[in-house]
Amino acid sequence: MNIIGPDALVFGVDDLVACRQYLIDYGLHDAGNGRFEALDGTAVVIRQADDPALPPGLGTASLLRETVYGVADTDTLDAIEAELKRDREVTRRDGVVRCADDMGFALAFQVSVRRPLLLPGERVNAPGAEPQREPNALGLWPDMPARPRSLSHVVYFVPDAAKAEAFYARLGFVCTDRFTGVGPFLRPAGTMDHHTLFMIQTPPFMKGCEHFTFHMGGPTEVLLAGTRFVEKGYQSFWGPGRHKFGSNWFWYFNSPLGCHVEYDADMDLHDDSWAPRDAPMGADASQLFLFQYREKWAPSGPPPAGPSR
Amino acid sequence: MAVRLCRLNDLAEGAARGFDPQNTGQDTLLVVRQGERLFAYADACPHHGTPMAWRKDAYLNAAGDRIVCSAHGALFEMTSGRCTLGPCLGEALTPVPLIVHDNGEVHLADTFQETCA
Repeated sequence: MNIIGPDALVFGVDDLVACRQYLIDYGLHDAGNGRFEALDGTAVVIRQADDPALPPGLGTASLLRETVYGVADTDTLDAIEAELKRDREVTRRDGVVRCADDMGFALAFQVSVRRPLLLPGERVNAPGAEPQREPNALGLWPDMPARPRSLSHVVYFVPDAAKAEAFYARLGFVCTDRFTGVGPFLRPAGTMDHHTLFMIQTPPFMKGCEHFTFHMGGPTEVLLAGTRFVEKGYQSFWGPGRHKFGSNWFWYFNSPLGCHVEYDADMDLHDDSWAPRDAPMGADASQLFLFQYREKWAPSGPPPAGPSR
Repeated sequence: MAVRLCRLNDLAEGAARGFDPQNTGQDTLLVVRQGERLFAYADACPHHGTPMAWRKDAYLNAAGDRIVCSAHGALFEMTSGRCTLGPCLGEALTPVPLIVHDNGEVHLADTFQETCA
């Protein structure tokens, strides 16, 4: 089934004002009506937690209320509807198919709203390779934009990772890599991105969203956007660094949305010839390297006085 | 000598504030004022031991009656520090003893070093 990836994540929040400012400062565009968009139109949507139009909550601290998947065409919607109707309640209205997965996460499927992007990725010059930036083209400048481009993936805490994975396999998601006893990285058929969904096995009272992230234009944009976010007073949680599975650069922040919010870039692409790896979860398996923000500093000051005469 | 944090009047009613008394570059404790009462806890969620605000001093829910960890939305009772919802359900924040002097100066009790060590 030609599912491309998440089009939107819908949250029912405690503090709309705080969440709105957070998402704008993170770099999303306020498109109105609680919708905050990346450059390609993928989005985070925020509503007051008690909004009756929202699907029910998960009964935990998680504020995620719906994951909206973008699919290629109406044939795919038909196929998803037919498959899911075999064993659960499914609705279809105004072009949106809705149901809940086997863990109780509310899902929606629609023909994707993603707008095609035509933007260069980060361009790098290296000895031995053709220059990627022409002469006099700068790699970095003070007000260089660093805007989230596209909603990349969401990570769930789930009480039964094997059962949860089996549900998504019915929709054509394949495992690209796995943390043993923890959960799978899943890639739907409509993208080559290493994962659009990762699941972590936890006790039932933790069920919910661990984090979500938008793809940036490259590692420099991750570092630049993250630095600007810290300088506005936001709280770094983990990073910057580079993950092992997926090779994506990362930087995670705390948020008022009840989950971490990440900047990521340069994820591996895979096709059906890829054989998934399996590794125990741990610091070495999670990242190749990890750094931490520090205030800007430069070796400077007056020259040493020298020996006294 | 006990470490000075601030004056009582520097703390806004119903609001929280983070402090970094050991100059680590990261706030390590938070103080909430409710009337003349102060509640102080180590800024470390029992889940991963990580900082809890989402932005400098943003430790409370919208109603101002719960401390929130903005890693995964865990909620904590103000008076006891007990987690009532979230990944650290049933666990509690580590209280930080304070001394409020008659002249309104707020100091850490001497035990903070050991509390956060």
